[in-house]
Amino acid sequence: VGFQKILTLTYVDKLIDDVHKEFRDKYRNEFQQKGTLGLLNGTFDFKDDFMRLLRDAEESSKVRAPTVMKTFEQSLKSQKTVKCMIETRGEKPKEKVKNKKNKGSKKEGTEAVAAPGKASAGDKQPSAAGDREELTKDEILQKNREEFFKRHMKAGEKSSKSPKPEAQKEKGKKPRVWDLGNSNAKVLDYSNSATNGSAEACPVEEFDPDTALGDRNRERGRLYDLEYESDDEAEEEKVIQNPSKPSAKKGGLGGMFGMLKGLVGSKSLTREDMDPVLEKMKDHLIAKNVAAEIAVQLCESVAKKLEGKVMGTFTTVTSTVKQALQEALVQILQPQRRVDVLRDVMDAQRHRRPYVVTFCGVNGVGKSTNLAKISFWLIENGFSVLIAACDTFRAGAVEQLRTHTRRLNALHPPESHGGRTMVQLYEKGYGKDAAGIAMEAISYARNQGFDVVLVDTAGRMQDNAPLMTALAKLIAVNAPDLVLFVGEALVGNEAVDQLVKFNKALADHSMAQTPRLIDGIVLTKFDTIDDKVGAAISMTYITSKPIVFVGTGQTYCDLRSLNAKAVVAALMKA
Amino acid sequence: AMAGRLEPHLEALRRELRAPDPAVLSVLLALLAVAVTLLIWRFVQGRRSSRKAVLLLGLCDAGKTLLFAQLLTGKYRDTQTSITDSSAVYRVSNNKSANVTLIDLPGHKSLRLQFLERFKAAARAIVFVVDSVAFQREVKDVAEFLYQVLVDSTVLKNAPALLIACNKQDVTMAKSAKLIQQQLEKELNTLRVTRSAAPTSLDGSATGGPAQLGKKGKDFDFSQLPMKVEFVECSARGSKGEEGDADFEGLEKWLARIA
Repeated sequence: VGFQKILTLTYVDKLIDDVHKEFRDKYRNEFQQKGTLGLLNGTFDFKDDFMRLLRDAEESSKVRAPTVMKTFEQSLKSQKTVKCMIETRGEKPKEKVKNKKNKGSKKEGTEAVAAPGKASAGDKQPSAAGDREELTKDEILQKNREEFFKRHMKAGEKSSKSPKPEAQKEKGKKPRVWDLGNSNAKVLDYSNSATNGSAEACPVEEFDPDTALGDRNRERGRLYDLEYESDDEAEEEKVIQNPSKPSAKKGGLGGMFGMLKGLVGSKSLTREDMDPVLEKMKDHLIAKNVAAEIAVQLCESVAKKLEGKVMGTFTTVTSTVKQALQEALVQILQPQRRVDVLRDVMDAQRHRRPYVVTFCGVNGVGKSTNLAKISFWLIENGFSVLIAACDTFRAGAVEQLRTHTRRLNALHPPESHGGRTMVQLYEKGYGKDAAGIAMEAISYARNQGFDVVLVDTAGRMQDNAPLMTALAKLIAVNAPDLVLFVGEALVGNEAVDQLVKFNKALADHSMAQTPRLIDGIVLTKFDTIDDKVGAAISMTYITSKPIVFVGTGQTYCDLRSLNAKAVVAALMKA
Repeated sequence: AMAGRLEPHLEALRRELRAPDPAVLSVLLALLAVAVTLLIWRFVQGRRSSRKAVLLLGLCDAGKTLLFAQLLTGKYRDTQTSITDSSAVYRVSNNKSANVTLIDLPGHKSLRLQFLERFKAAARAIVFVVDSVAFQREVKDVAEFLYQVLVDSTVLKNAPALLIACNKQDVTMAKSAKLIQQQLEKELNTLRVTRSAAPTSLDGSATGGPAQLGKKGKDFDFSQLPMKVEFVECSARGSKGEEGDADFEGLEKWLARIA
């Protein structure tokens, strides 16, 4: 069961349930009467029962009659009249294309009404594509996206669109054109690497015009509008409206009596009791900026935990559910090991090597600012810091760190620390390879006897594969002691995506047996949210790593540590 | 004050009793019933909150569950990593009817704090089980957990007696209790410095509680704690392996004293 993803045994869940039920029923008396002592003293001869259940489960998964081939009478072909099988010149391609479309569609239930509509749309597209030889990548993507959304629209909408008459009849034979594939061979030709794969990722020289300008095909001086698909939004709205079920309300005296009855006496919780409460809690959590899927999963797990629980007297369903949810939230925010940076730095000091911390995150979350705050805190505690400027892309990154270094040295001059400069900046300008600079910085720190090395990396979007590879390479090669993900508290559902993709990139590109993943989270811009603190929950839930620091402003003293109970209290507040 | 207030009511009551008016009488009876219920309720609550529990804490694989089983039944059982608490009443041997509730809590990293939170208020004494064989490797984790237990506000308020049981003494490589005590004191000394130097908590309250563990100027020592701390060596498996009895007389004597 531990390796469920690799070896999918479909009967495992059912088997566990069966074993659980059987064991409980068989030894029910012992449990109820004797309690723990019964557990310790009793002999549980369950092996035969377990083997029997296992055998049953295995057999049930194998038993599935092989699909019998349809006989000729059953198939559709025999039901078609001869007349419609006679091919006339004009009709033939329409029939053939329609059948092919039916086979090729992966969505369940494409009605016949939808088919001609789709066929006409599909037919139009490849012919249109066939005309224009040169299609830029963006336009292909746009076109494919539109087609994809059109395919997945509900059948109702499709039936309203009247099937267009076949205006274009293809004369003669036309090469097979796949809808979603590229229609010319040039784009598939990867022999010349200069055309495919822009040079955005690793700038070779100091200034690369391509990277600065980005998209060269734009008109000079024109500001383009933001493109967005209205289809997407309309579809999302429909999806949200569907699951809202009207809750039945029984008014009058019966309701009041039922409420009183619910208050006193012990009854066990059922799913139906908890559902309305959980629904409300879920909406409350989402309103507090917890990512939607996290809120759903949380409520699910609370429901599962509370199912069948016997409530005490004078406790309502709401209070029990709220209590359980609060416990679950506190437990999420206090994951296993508390990252004690100072303790680990002392350890590294004893072994005479620098303690390396790497900061990663998307653009504009506050990596450099919080790096400066953390170095201030470390200096206050008497450790010397080397800042490695591995952000070689963003203009002004090195200067920013240099200004911070100067300020920190002014605040803590060498005279007050026994002649030692507490902060120094290691930089190699712009355009160089970040991983190389980090490695040189670490060896420089080891030679000069610095206690901590803080590595600042460039911000990058989690979807940007070449940049994620570069980051993963930096972390894999330099093996830092602590990898901190910097995330802002304003982020909503994006937090989930960011963290998942960052972790995935780090795991994929590491050669080691145990890849270095994100070890901790720095939650920044906490002063901008007043009590919508849900981002903390989303991030810790996804990674199960602790929030090490919280940034609450732009001055050096605005560094805090997380207080789980306070955050949960703010979260549960109405 | 209660008696003073009752006087005029008693007069009215007497008057009513002479000329019974059913409505008022029933109301008075109802009030009386409610008062009695409240009294019983408070009594029951008080009983429940009396601390009668002895918690078995420790890291994973320290030997808590086996110790628990041996104390209660005297037999050796194969154990698995606990994922939930187990509690039973333990009768102290060769004594009157003194008994305590032994509670065995899971030591797994993700569960231990949660269960500690639930049971710390009911703790009269805490047995912290340490794996003496793996101690050298795990000293930081042991100290961190012990620090978290000691710094907890409820624990500091109640000051339950603390026994650090150095388990697995039947193995030859086990460290002695004295060595474990010294190492723990050194590690806790460092920990209290690093923990109190951590950035302050979000709403202003200091991390790790305002309590400074032990005295400020001097090195940390277990005698500086508000509760009584003892070290004892024991072995849940016993020197003869699975057939023999467990070797924990020190532990039993301490439990007898606590009960």
